Amino acid sequence: MTKTDAILKTRNLTKQFDGVRAVDDLSISIAKGKVTSVIGPNGSGKTTLTNVLSGLASIDGGSVVLHSVALKKIRPFDMPSYGMTRTFQEVRLFEQMPVLDNVLVVLTERSVFGALFERHGAFHEKQAEEALKKVGLWEKRNEPASTLSYGQRKLLEIARVLALSAGRQTDIILLDEPFAGLFPKMVKTVSSIVKALRDEGRTVVLIEHNMDLIRELSDHVIVMDSGKFLAEGRAAEVLERRDVIEAYLGE
Amino acid sequence: MEILSQLILNGVIAGALYALMALGFNLIYGVTRFFNLAHGVLAAIGGYAFFTLSKTLGLNIYLGAAIGVAVAGLAGYGFDRLVYSTLRKRKASNLVLLVASLGVFTTAQAALSILFTSNFQTLSSGEAGGSALSLFGGVVTRTQLVIIFSSIASMLGLAALLKGTMFGKAVRAISDDEEVARMVGINTGRVTGYVFFIGSAIAGFAGILAGFDTGIQPTMGMGLLLKGVIASIIGGVGNIYGGVLGAFLLGLVENFGIWKIPGEWKDAVSFVLLIVFLIFRPQGIMKR
Repeated sequence: MTKTDAILKTRNLTKQFDGVRAVDDLSISIAKGKVTSVIGPNGSGKTTLTNVLSGLASIDGGSVVLHSVALKKIRPFDMPSYGMTRTFQEVRLFEQMPVLDNVLVVLTERSVFGALFERHGAFHEKQAEEALKKVGLWEKRNEPASTLSYGQRKLLEIARVLALSAGRQTDIILLDEPFAGLFPKMVKTVSSIVKALRDEGRTVVLIEHNMDLIRELSDHVIVMDSGKFLAEGRAAEVLERRDVIEAYLGE
Repeated sequence: MEILSQLILNGVIAGALYALMALGFNLIYGVTRFFNLAHGVLAAIGGYAFFTLSKTLGLNIYLGAAIGVAVAGLAGYGFDRLVYSTLRKRKASNLVLLVASLGVFTTAQAALSILFTSNFQTLSSGEAGGSALSLFGGVVTRTQLVIIFSSIASMLGLAALLKGTMFGKAVRAISDDEEVARMVGINTGRVTGYVFFIGSAIAGFAGILAGFDTGIQPTMGMGLLLKGVIASIIGGVGNIYGGVLGAFLLGLVENFGIWKIPGEWKDAVSFVLLIVFLIFRPQGIMKR
């Protein structure tokens, strides 16, 4: 991979919790326009890595560079503007708001006075509609998010990142276990969304456990173990490696 | 019959004023999740700003009221930037913020006493409250009519702002989950600042109206704050519509409560209502 291909890079990244290094001296790159899966046994630091990369958790050591900007310099609410959007492993929606508003709100005008007086324009509504139609929730647009089923909640969160990164080709879309707990039919919906993103040349970082899905969807796989880098490469090669298998079996 | 309509009128007038206090209080609570005790002093700041502009400097009363409302809003915004947002950045708990707001309240109230003395001042010129009108067999002053109508107008205006604008959606998103709101690109600090401005401006407006009705003094904030807080708890803390409902209920109960007993018991009646709610329906009329 050449330097210009990397959209996000970590160098010797470290994150500690109570003396435990959840992410330990990790140096990885995320390639532009590819689906990169980050895998590893439970407790290998994937979620912590996600939180650090998305600006939710602070960096303890090392550095992260996003689009050649140091992540430390980006304020959390500016992360989407700098091209980083994410979903959460435990879905986090705006429960009291209708489905449509959950998507519309991320399209909020961010200028000083614009925010106060602007009504959501036709343009925003169109974007929200597109995102909701992609995940099949357009019919439920007026229902409160709290009434959705578990799978629908996951889909709504995905619609939110789709709207947030709509028309922004260079954004990184970070999906934290988007398939966990889904029925087969919904797994299909989500995997076709990921495939569509891949075909559009979008950059996706996928945190996932299901090996079949990883094989099917990823261009590149990075394996973590105990917060450290273990291996990377094409899914077919990496998943056959003895040290990777051992890391999983040793779980 | 006349007593009955007078009691209802008095209840509605009191309720309208409490509703304005509850409106700002709940708006701010919904976003920040702490009991902003300094909310009361903003009513006094609004009242004194108006007093200075219109009574001392002789400015047109509508202009004076508009600037007074803005001064209260800016003061509230300033308190947030200076004190609360600084504390929030240091991950202070809501208890710390509550204590800090008590500090802001006391300091600002003391500053008002130093600047304006603690004497009682009236805002209305001529007879108190303007000329009286007869309405449904009860008596109501022009000021009191203004209180009722402007209170309702403020509520509708705020509801429209929250429902119809992107800003309103951002406010609701932050009330729901501030961390996620930030992750999806909402500048939560800035939105919170606006919320402080709007909520405090409404409190300032309440202060000016109260000043027209009964007069102002630096300590007026505490009474208004307590009624606003009681109304909020009765209605459902953080729910602006619930707070308005609670305010009118409080105003009516308070005035009916003193039908057969002396008027000094008014506050006691409010607190009995509060206690009844805390015991039997602590989540308030409308849950968040």
